[in-house]
Amino acid sequence: MEWFDCNTEFGIPTKPPGRFAPTPHELLDEMDFCGVQDALVRHAATRDESAQAGNRLVCEETVDARRLHPVWAVLPPQTSELGTLDEWFAAMRAHRVKALIAYPDKHRYLLNGLTFGPVFEEMSARRIPLILGPDWRTIAETLADFPQLTVIATNHSSWGDDRSFRPLLDRYERFHVDTASYDLDGGVADLVKRYGPHRLVYGSNYPIMQMGGSILTVAQADIDDDARAAIAGGNLRRLLSEVKL
Amino acid sequence: MKNDSAITREFLTRGRSETCPIIDMHGHYGTFSGIYFPNPFADRMLMSMDRAGVSAIVCSSHAGLCEQERGNREMAEVVKKHPGRIYGYRVINPNYPEAARREVERYLQDSGFVGFKFHPSGHGYPITGEHYVPALEYANEHRLIVLTHTWGQSQYDGPKLVAEVAAKYPNATIIMGHSGYGEWDVTFEVAREYGNVYLDLCAAYRLNGIVTRMVDEVGSHRIVFGTDQPWFGPHFCAGSVCFSRITDEDRHNIFHRNAEKLMAPFEV
Repeated sequence: MEWFDCNTEFGIPTKPPGRFAPTPHELLDEMDFCGVQDALVRHAATRDESAQAGNRLVCEETVDARRLHPVWAVLPPQTSELGTLDEWFAAMRAHRVKALIAYPDKHRYLLNGLTFGPVFEEMSARRIPLILGPDWRTIAETLADFPQLTVIATNHSSWGDDRSFRPLLDRYERFHVDTASYDLDGGVADLVKRYGPHRLVYGSNYPIMQMGGSILTVAQADIDDDARAAIAGGNLRRLLSEVKL
Repeated sequence: MKNDSAITREFLTRGRSETCPIIDMHGHYGTFSGIYFPNPFADRMLMSMDRAGVSAIVCSSHAGLCEQERGNREMAEVVKKHPGRIYGYRVINPNYPEAARREVERYLQDSGFVGFKFHPSGHGYPITGEHYVPALEYANEHRLIVLTHTWGQSQYDGPKLVAEVAAKYPNATIIMGHSGYGEWDVTFEVAREYGNVYLDLCAAYRLNGIVTRMVDEVGSHRIVFGTDQPWFGPHFCAGSVCFSRITDEDRHNIFHRNAEKLMAPFEV
């Protein structure tokens, strides 16, 4: 089975977790230890220092690591910090960036249609996934305005968010959740039974969390092998193959 | 995969290990207010346990966290129906001290119980408070296990408070549920200082590097497997242990040997 992690980071974070990967080499070492082939990856500086710095560093440092697929952070287009929309998407194409992430709290903006209307319309048309943390109210409002936006919700609460995200799975076919915190007993099988296997994507939230818990949970969930392969990596590969840059 | 652990390969390919069973020292039972459970009751809990090779689990009833006498009666019925697979902790709610005292007095009525479950944070009452004393004295006298919720910096069950209890009741085994989550240095110091204190992996297992750190700083002989099942599935905790950079001897200790030692007086 091929594992493709949608939720990893390297770089030196401001507040270090127990273990972390300062460089892509350490991240790849951990991926090899756990048997993970590919990963969407962001730089710690993207969150902690600035989107501009992190977006540049993640590309510079992964240029020779083809198993690591860079993720950039979005900023409101009104401040032009990331150039015009055309320049932005051209840069993504040049640097093989196929997914974006938003840090509305850390980067201090409102994640809504007022701020990101043209960006989210373009992302919907180009099928570029947007990775978001588990602020369900914000995600629900965003998807209400942009129902065709591809969203991967990551790091949802270990204390159980099914009551919050299942209505979104019901309504929006391009809404997905990752497995980083989905340790709910029987959760993977229960979700697959109701929604099929294509709405869950393997993610670890490394280096805050370790990779192995989610791997064994998916590997041994009470689902068939096709479903297992889809969650492990097939779904994410499909989503990225649909991206039009 | 460069992880060369035989146990890990067995779990990955078969979901369980024939040579390394699991005993889960931190379980619950039944539905709960803030979360959806696919597997809240015994039949489905046991199916989940079987998939992961969990031979036994020790549970406290969610109902008991709210209404101890009714919940503990419910737990006793479940334990009676599943001898050798599901064991019980009798929940003590210190906010109702008379009922708590009655629960201590009832302890010997039901076989299959191995001790008491405290949730000082949830009950808003410190583990050092007088309403816990009857249960602690009883546990100390009868060498029982006390599984207590612990959390870093908590005024109710932070690791420094656990140290006071461990010192005062040396014959009771104190399992620090969640291992004083977040206040790791103090927790590890408490575990090193008091031989009757064990670390529980429940919820803590998720954090990158924490299992290895526990093994390095306290030792795998003082760590027990815990899931909060039906909250969290056994494979997530098992995977966290399997993919930590520790030895298979450590994995044996964590998965079953330490629990076997603790449970031996209760005929596991």
